[in-house]
Amino acid sequence: MFRIDFNKLRFLVCDDNPHMRRILRTLLHSFGAREAYEAEDGATALEMYTHYVPDIVITDWAMPIFDGLELAQMIRQPEAKGNPFAPIIMLTGHSEKRRVTVARDAGVTEFLAKPISAKGLYQRILNVVANPRPFIKTKTYFGPDRRRNPNGAYIGPERRVGGEMEILQQPSLLDKARSGV
Amino acid sequence: MTTRKSDIEVQKFADHHVITQPNPLRKILRRVDDTDTDDPVARAEQALADLSGEFKEWMGIESNRLSAAYAAILDQGFTKVTRDEFFRAAHDIKGDAVTFGFPSAGAVAESLCRVIEHAPDLAKVPPDLFTHHINAILAIVHEHTQLDTISMSGELSRRLRGVADEYLAHVNRDRPEHLEAVMAPSITPAD
Repeated sequence: MFRIDFNKLRFLVCDDNPHMRRILRTLLHSFGAREAYEAEDGATALEMYTHYVPDIVITDWAMPIFDGLELAQMIRQPEAKGNPFAPIIMLTGHSEKRRVTVARDAGVTEFLAKPISAKGLYQRILNVVANPRPFIKTKTYFGPDRRRNPNGAYIGPERRVGGEMEILQQPSLLDKARSGV
Repeated sequence: MTTRKSDIEVQKFADHHVITQPNPLRKILRRVDDTDTDDPVARAEQALADLSGEFKEWMGIESNRLSAAYAAILDQGFTKVTRDEFFRAAHDIKGDAVTFGFPSAGAVAESLCRVIEHAPDLAKVPPDLFTHHINAILAIVHEHTQLDTISMSGELSRRLRGVADEYLAHVNRDRPEHLEAVMAPSITPAD
């Protein structure tokens, strides 16, 4: 069985709603987190992201100034000064499948539809900690591999070009730990 | 816990790069004995339960915010600022109401969000469609303590959703991309 040492993680929470920030703060502190910085809009979050260098970002989608989607796109700039690889968990009231696709294409690592639950949030955090995906850079995309189930036989649109090596299997940290590597 | 650039491995292919890096967060994952009784999820659920005494007041604040956002529209019309605040207020209720113990209010707010998002011209939406949604949310929140209103609020939210969907199907009959979005199922389970 594995546990996360939350007290070693630094979170950035971005949500314009003070009640949801309070709930997130309560959940993260209950998990054991000590460092959870909070921003109420995307612009402030981006500044805090550069300043505090969080390990994990949890962001809402619909926010004033610029939203969570734009925040994700700004973090996922491969040439930016800040860390473009930090896991981004999008926590949103949007519950349409097309929104998940849009968020994924903006470089979001995990999508969590509200209503929020302690279990759902914990599982998303555990997943980004234990099962990081490699990053993919194309002309139009930079972010975590959008394929969670690599299929070598795929011949449809947006297929990557590159021969035999185009799909890389990355054993998860849990698998590595279990096998004693 | 960031990664040094020298630790990053880049494999180049014809039209993409695959970038792998050592997991900077692996040190915070630790193996514990199966007999370990610490349950962070249960701890967090208890903390949320301890907080729940404030939820009714929060829901009141959220529903008043929605009401104020619509009042601003009546006063100033639909501008980007008033429309966005109206949508965000409804969207926050949609996302938070279940957590706060008001699932029917969340369902009504979802229906209202769909109208705001998919009506081709908000100025042409019958005002009653907006006010019925807002009044329903206010009523559900303020009458919440009366047990006999629970089934009534569920019925109210279903009827409003039916009326809103019928309106959206009609006004989007020549806008297939919106019609598809309106008809698409939600990824969250229905109640």
